Amino acid sequence: MADDIVLDVRDLRVNFGPVRAVDGVSLAISRGPFGVALVGESGSGKTTVGRALLRLVPAAGGTIAFEGQDVLALRGPQLRAYRRAVQIVFQDADNSLDPRMRIGATIGEVLAAHGLADHGLAGRGLAGRGLAGRGLAGHRKAGRGAVGDQVAALLAEAALDPALASRYPHQLSGGQRQRVAIARALAVGPRLLILDEPTSALDVTAQARILALVRRLRDERQLACLLITHNLAIIPGLCEQMVVLYLGRVAEAGPAGELLARPAHPYTLALRSAVPEVDAAARRSRIILPGDTPHAATLPPGCPFHPRCPLVVEICRTSVPQPRTVAPGRQVACHRADEVLSGLRPPGAPAQLAGEP
Amino acid sequence: MKLEIRDLRVSFGGHPVASVPELAVDGGEIVGLAGESGSGKSMTILAVLGLAQTAGATVTGSVRLDGQELAGLSGVRLRAIRGARIAAIFQSPSLAFNPVFRVGAIVSRALRQHGLSAAQARERADAAMRSVLLSPDLLGRYPAQLSGGQLQRVAIALALALRAEVLLADEPTSALDVTVQAEVLELLRELRDSRGMAVLFVSHDLAVIAELCDRVAVMRAGQVVEQGPTGQVLAAPRHDYTRELLAAVPRLRN
Repeated sequence: MADDIVLDVRDLRVNFGPVRAVDGVSLAISRGPFGVALVGESGSGKTTVGRALLRLVPAAGGTIAFEGQDVLALRGPQLRAYRRAVQIVFQDADNSLDPRMRIGATIGEVLAAHGLADHGLAGRGLAGRGLAGRGLAGHRKAGRGAVGDQVAALLAEAALDPALASRYPHQLSGGQRQRVAIARALAVGPRLLILDEPTSALDVTAQARILALVRRLRDERQLACLLITHNLAIIPGLCEQMVVLYLGRVAEAGPAGELLARPAHPYTLALRSAVPEVDAAARRSRIILPGDTPHAATLPPGCPFHPRCPLVVEICRTSVPQPRTVAPGRQVACHRADEVLSGLRPPGAPAQLAGEP
Repeated sequence: MKLEIRDLRVSFGGHPVASVPELAVDGGEIVGLAGESGSGKSMTILAVLGLAQTAGATVTGSVRLDGQELAGLSGVRLRAIRGARIAAIFQSPSLAFNPVFRVGAIVSRALRQHGLSAAQARERADAAMRSVLLSPDLLGRYPAQLSGGQLQRVAIALALALRAEVLLADEPTSALDVTVQAEVLELLRELRDSRGMAVLFVSHDLAVIAELCDRVAVMRAGQVVEQGPTGQVLAAPRHDYTRELLAAVPRLRN
């Protein structure tokens, strides 16, 4: 079983000064094709977890194991190899693509940096210039052709016209830019892809195309994916497992299908009910959470969610609920999880959504 | 009808970008304008505000508020209507607030521009903040100290404080978390129901439109392709493009 786990995160902690931004997060991602969703609102710590996994922010505690290797101990070439195996796609392709580089050069640079460019082309300059189409002599031209072919293949794989290689990011639509970011991530042959709100900046039509692309790549390339999102509706079809974060702590974790159909934590319930629905019947169960997510610097006593929880009772104000197993593979940190699982709902919200089994 | 748009055409250098033959919003009603990026929704909103011209567009056609024609009004007379009677909120609330002023200073400046005294402005601003469920204390903070959802609610509070009759909302929840979006949508429903506001709501997301709007017009490439009661349009779309938009909506159960 353990052999099937690509990434094993246990009790991860990240501090920003005195603020415990991530506190005791555990999650396991199986070998691809497989998806885990990391879910929560702004300020829940989900992006920080993603960054800590890539060692872009230091972990204050816990362990991260990638294919059995201790990620937190990696140095030099091993760290580079790890960062090739694990790639990230950010929310905002406007800011993650260099506006002064043509698309082909942006992707060629990654190939060169990791020594993957054909014909030994090394360094950003050559790959970049070659693809920008400036005149280069003899053997470099051969190299340009080869790298150009690699770039064209990657663009095609991301369902983009290879001719876009000669364009600049601002000449592309938001959806096209995000495809470029995905193509660039694929360039180094990753085994784990972290997608941090990959569609939040896009309209729903562009979002649908990106999600379909990720689903296809996941299966074709046997990718493991970590999908970071605030929108539960984009999880089905992409993720088998799901981890719900609130103020840097795991509120609930388990199989995605079960959590979506039958949440055990009132926060998951609220996240689910916030998803806008086309079907009128599904819309009657709205739970509005009062106020914004509090800041992790001012953590309330007791359950961190209790000031906004529609099902709060006395014990929630004083005692921190510990994660416990409520069903096979399902952990929940809520004093009232069993009641929620048996159908307890906030006043006004029906126990069952229309169309629910 | 509160707001009536007829034969509205917006073009840049002879190239048409938005064409709305007929669109009306009554008091106590939310009408959706749906479509992808580039379909002409936002340009329609700017044209209603009399601002499309400032971006270099040519605008023809008629926009009426309570029967009064707004097209061709002088800048001074239009300014008296814009803000005071027709308010607008946009996708990125953080861009709508000047970062170097406190939120309260921005709000009271707008109120005083429309003729309120300093004392009246303060009183109205405090009351409006409470009606969008925000503490008036937030008026003393800088925009960067508020969350996106809070800022969007301040923008709505400003419309309330001005006693606006029409609210133009251009993707006001697209940059927000779904939970915060649900709150803002609830607030807009309340403005419609308790204050009888006329709301023109622009969105690319038909699920949000379904949640909120009484009627909907679907735009594609600058043209309105379908229009009608929301339930009817979404249950039995007549245009392929509406079906395409519907199919793109992500669903929890599939």
